[in-house]
Amino acid sequence: MAATASRPVPPRGRARLIAVGRATKPIREARGTARGMLWAGAALTLFFVVLAAFASFISPYGFNEYKSNGVRFAQLAHPSSAHWMGTTVLSNDVMARVVYGAQTELKVVALALVMSIAIGVPLGLLSGFFGGPLDRALVLINDVLLAFPYLLLAIVVAFLLSNSSIGAGILTAAIAITAAYVPVYFRVVRNHVVSLREEAYVDAARALGAKPWTIIRKYVFFNVVQNVPPIATLNAADAVLLLAALGFLGYGIQPTQGAEWGYDISRAVSDASSGIWWTGLFPGLAIVLLVTGLSLVGESLNETLNPVLRRRHFGRIEFPELGEERSDD
Amino acid sequence: MAKRRVRWLLTGSAVAAIAVAAALAATAYGGSKAGNNKVIIDGTTGTVVNIDPANEYDYDSFTVDLPIFQGLYGFPTGAKLKPVLATGCSHTKNLKTWTCHLRHNVKFSNGDPMTSADVKYSFDRVQKIKGDQGIFTLLTYLQSTTTSGQYTVVFHLNHPDSIWPYILSTNAGYVVDKNTFPANSILANTDTSHMIGTGPYKLTKFTAGQQAVLTPNTNYWGAKPKNGGIIIDYYSKSSTMKLDLQQGNIDMAFQTFTPTEISSMKKTKGLKVHSAPGVNIRYLVFNVKRPPFNNLHVRKAIAYLMPRQTIAKRVWHGTVKPLYSMVPAGLPGASQAYKTMYGAKPNLAKAKAEMKKAHVKKPLPITLWYTPTHYGDVSADEYIEMQRALNASKLFKVTLKSAEWAQYSGALGKVYGAFQLGWFPDYPDADDYTVSFYQPQSFYNNGYANSKMTKLIAKERATTGKARIANLKKMQTLAAKTLPTIPYWQGDMIAVGRSNVSGIPSTLDATYYMRFWLLTKS
Amino acid sequence: MTGTSLRTYLLTRLALVVPMVFILLTLVFLLMRVAPGNPIQAALGGHVPPAQVKIIEHRLGFDKPLYTQYGDYLWGIVRGNFGTSISDNRPITQIITQNGAATLELTFFAMIVAIVVGVSVGLLAGRFRDTGLDVFGRMFGILIYAMPVFFLGLMAQLVFGVWLGWLPISDQASPINQALLPAHTNIMFIDAIWARNWAALWDVTKHLILPALTLGLVTAGVFIRLVRINVIRTLRDDYIEAARARGIDERKVVYTHAFKNALVPVITIVGLNFAVLLGGAVLTEETFNWPGIGHELVLYVQNRDYAAVQGIIIVFALVVVFVSMLVDFLNAYVDPRIRY
Repeated sequence: MAATASRPVPPRGRARLIAVGRATKPIREARGTARGMLWAGAALTLFFVVLAAFASFISPYGFNEYKSNGVRFAQLAHPSSAHWMGTTVLSNDVMARVVYGAQTELKVVALALVMSIAIGVPLGLLSGFFGGPLDRALVLINDVLLAFPYLLLAIVVAFLLSNSSIGAGILTAAIAITAAYVPVYFRVVRNHVVSLREEAYVDAARALGAKPWTIIRKYVFFNVVQNVPPIATLNAADAVLLLAALGFLGYGIQPTQGAEWGYDISRAVSDASSGIWWTGLFPGLAIVLLVTGLSLVGESLNETLNPVLRRRHFGRIEFPELGEERSDD
Repeated sequence: MAKRRVRWLLTGSAVAAIAVAAALAATAYGGSKAGNNKVIIDGTTGTVVNIDPANEYDYDSFTVDLPIFQGLYGFPTGAKLKPVLATGCSHTKNLKTWTCHLRHNVKFSNGDPMTSADVKYSFDRVQKIKGDQGIFTLLTYLQSTTTSGQYTVVFHLNHPDSIWPYILSTNAGYVVDKNTFPANSILANTDTSHMIGTGPYKLTKFTAGQQAVLTPNTNYWGAKPKNGGIIIDYYSKSSTMKLDLQQGNIDMAFQTFTPTEISSMKKTKGLKVHSAPGVNIRYLVFNVKRPPFNNLHVRKAIAYLMPRQTIAKRVWHGTVKPLYSMVPAGLPGASQAYKTMYGAKPNLAKAKAEMKKAHVKKPLPITLWYTPTHYGDVSADEYIEMQRALNASKLFKVTLKSAEWAQYSGALGKVYGAFQLGWFPDYPDADDYTVSFYQPQSFYNNGYANSKMTKLIAKERATTGKARIANLKKMQTLAAKTLPTIPYWQGDMIAVGRSNVSGIPSTLDATYYMRFWLLTKS
Repeated sequence: MTGTSLRTYLLTRLALVVPMVFILLTLVFLLMRVAPGNPIQAALGGHVPPAQVKIIEHRLGFDKPLYTQYGDYLWGIVRGNFGTSISDNRPITQIITQNGAATLELTFFAMIVAIVVGVSVGLLAGRFRDTGLDVFGRMFGILIYAMPVFFLGLMAQLVFGVWLGWLPISDQASPINQALLPAHTNIMFIDAIWARNWAALWDVTKHLILPALTLGLVTAGVFIRLVRINVIRTLRDDYIEAARARGIDERKVVYTHAFKNALVPVITIVGLNFAVLLGGAVLTEETFNWPGIGHELVLYVQNRDYAAVQGIIIVFALVVVFVSMLVDFLNAYVDPRIRY
């Protein structure tokens, strides 16, 4: 047997770093428009994250503040040096509501995504791997939920929860959005697991006597989890729109609990026809920019991670000069 | 090259788009110019539940019924109760038997003559069907209806009722054609061939959520309507209605614009905002048995701090007026009891004194409830202002909570300590603004049961004329003393019309009736 | 052999619809009943004494135990009686035919806009990948999708309705036309043609433009991305390489072979995104006062009108289920690999 020089096994920590490096290779390899989109999207998203995290420092006033030094703000005032984006009918500063609105949106969306992934991915894993009647039942229920226009599903859930003991608020909105997205993660993960189940290496592992949990942990999970980031960012973009829609219809967050862009737009609709444009334009632009940022990140991740679309960039290929000796091995 | 092809395609479509835009601009959309110039198109936000008067108990359905049906009494012009289908009613001394004489030669819109049999049929029907909208509760005192000849009806009540003629003016007393209305069931809203009444219009078409079309009743016994018909257009958002009004697609709009929209329309050319003091009110209810509101001093402190002026000016832009009694100003018997007792403006010193007497924590944490959609988005703003005023006094720490109407209306006093409600009258009389609120077992379950008040109610129902007015005033003063509720505004009746629509001011009064037959379009 | 397995596939899919609908019915029933409050309360609470409210609730059976109500409801469905809405006394079937037709009209024209814009931009972006055209196309798709429907609709109303005055901003037709046009199908576009009322047809078309464009553009954003990916995927396929190798003109390769095959999944995409369209229709209907079924649903949910909400949701889901089944069937017909 030919002795192949065995490569030294790197220590555990370094092995992990190498694995991470391998996983992010496609992203680092991205060139051209995909890279541009990634950076642009990341910048936009980061802008809003900063707004949300440092809202109290960035915003000149609280989202509920209606006076300073005992003097009320003007009602529906034009944008001016005192109020860069004007004031609302309740004498609140529009910019404050936009900045704090970022906080609300990101809180709700992050919470919703975490919950959806925490529920959808494990369910999909287990259902896909073990199959059987449970799997069939879950798939049926999932198809039913997917068949449903998700806005309506979110409306019904938000409506019910807001009247229960939880009351209207961030948690309610997050749960409503989760209800709409869990089926997506479940379906994607389950389908992938089902196709992986038949792969040779999984079969081999099973033949070697590996327990199901080990197989899932070692072979299936990381494979499947790669699907999640592009879907998650695109879902985050969707979730912002869904939250705004809920707020617009009045099922989201009440004005005293927090600032929410969709609710502000619903109030601004009657202002707009009276020539008052600032109460609606700024929250609207905020939604567009945040969703665009998240979509750009998601799209570019898709371009780079999806093998169908991925473009490999090779370095220059050098051909050996004619006439040079070719070494025989 | 493919790229050049694409460029051609793009320029081509751009040219096409410009051409279409030009065509549209040329045939610019403006107004319902096509069509009958004598038909008035009225926009409204709101939903019709039932047109059949036996199961109708909400304002939007009532607006459609008013031009189609009539009762023995009514408010043909102004807020004075007058006989309409009756020529007069007499009653026994104990106010339990009422005999009414009917007008002769009245025909229904399908030509059927109206007689006492139709009147009896109508009342029997309401009481038999007991429709789920609850209008039959207005006829609780009616034991039976009998006829005596073709033009006399006798009402036998089981309880003295001085305001029986007012009940006759509500849609519980509307007279329907016994030949077309079924005795045991409610007509569908689209059943226009059977929806027959004696009013100036007949229902020609009804499309739920979209339109109600009324055309003049050629068999009407009274003065012909001044226009050729009415189309009521239903909108889900007042902003869309406003845009349509500005564009001229509708001629007028009644119920309900936001205060910002009204302020803006006052300055818009081509539109005229008509307003007059109205009779719908808004008030804060206390559950007088639930702490901390069971403490009268706490309630008094809130009464001293109620920011009526701020709410009227900043939230409602002047379209409502501060209200100092549950009975709105303008109705006979209205007093300003709360103003007398607590002053017209918030009084911090007196509020502090009351809270001292209350012996409670300072600032006292309380929860105020409101409902965000039933009364419009602006209702949230009212409570935000209340919260601001109460918090600024440093006597209270207010938490605001809300619930959707379907749940809110079922909970009210059963669950909440202090909550928002509004009121539209069943009939424009002070009785409707007192008895419903002050009787024990009132509809909002606030636990108020004051024996003095209950006696006053019985007295009021059993007296007429000046004695009744005196009783009403006593009730209002007692209410201000014992504070089951705090009223804070009374709304104007507002209708906006294009400048070519006239007659609107003549129908704005304490009845809150939109009498379409008085309107004309030039 | 092909015939049998196709038939089996179809039958299996059809058979699955029944349990799906059943689950949906049950879910909706439970959800609605679990929330406190009921339609009678919504209508009467606030001005009728609670004792009376209770009497009426009892008469309508709202205080019966849950499983009895459930049984009654299912039995009604089986007999074809979907019931009457409680908050405005309309038979559910009437709500579905009348308002459903309006939504159908809107979504149909919006779908046309979405397909035309989405497919053409997607095709171009995919074909000219990484060029300026691609970037422009994708940015357009992303931006238009990022815009909330109600925001875009509001701006469209202000610009084209108020400032320019070119187009109407609400309803299906002018009030006069709504009153006078006889309703046969409840789709005003078709009814106008039926009545040969050309002025009314022009009016209806003008009313359709803004809502259909708004909803269609936003949906096109989704299509652009999907079509573009499909085009890229198709252009990499072996048979395209083979065609090029055979020396076929590049233009012919792209337009005749690649586009045609890239468009096949578009049917799938359109079908699967039908649910998205219906969801977006709710917001569009709110903004433009379009008398559609999504708008009614929002109102009925607010009023806790069980009968109406259940009926409408079932119909929504049935439509989406059948459309996706149709799409799957078409796919299975075309591609024998997908047969379960």
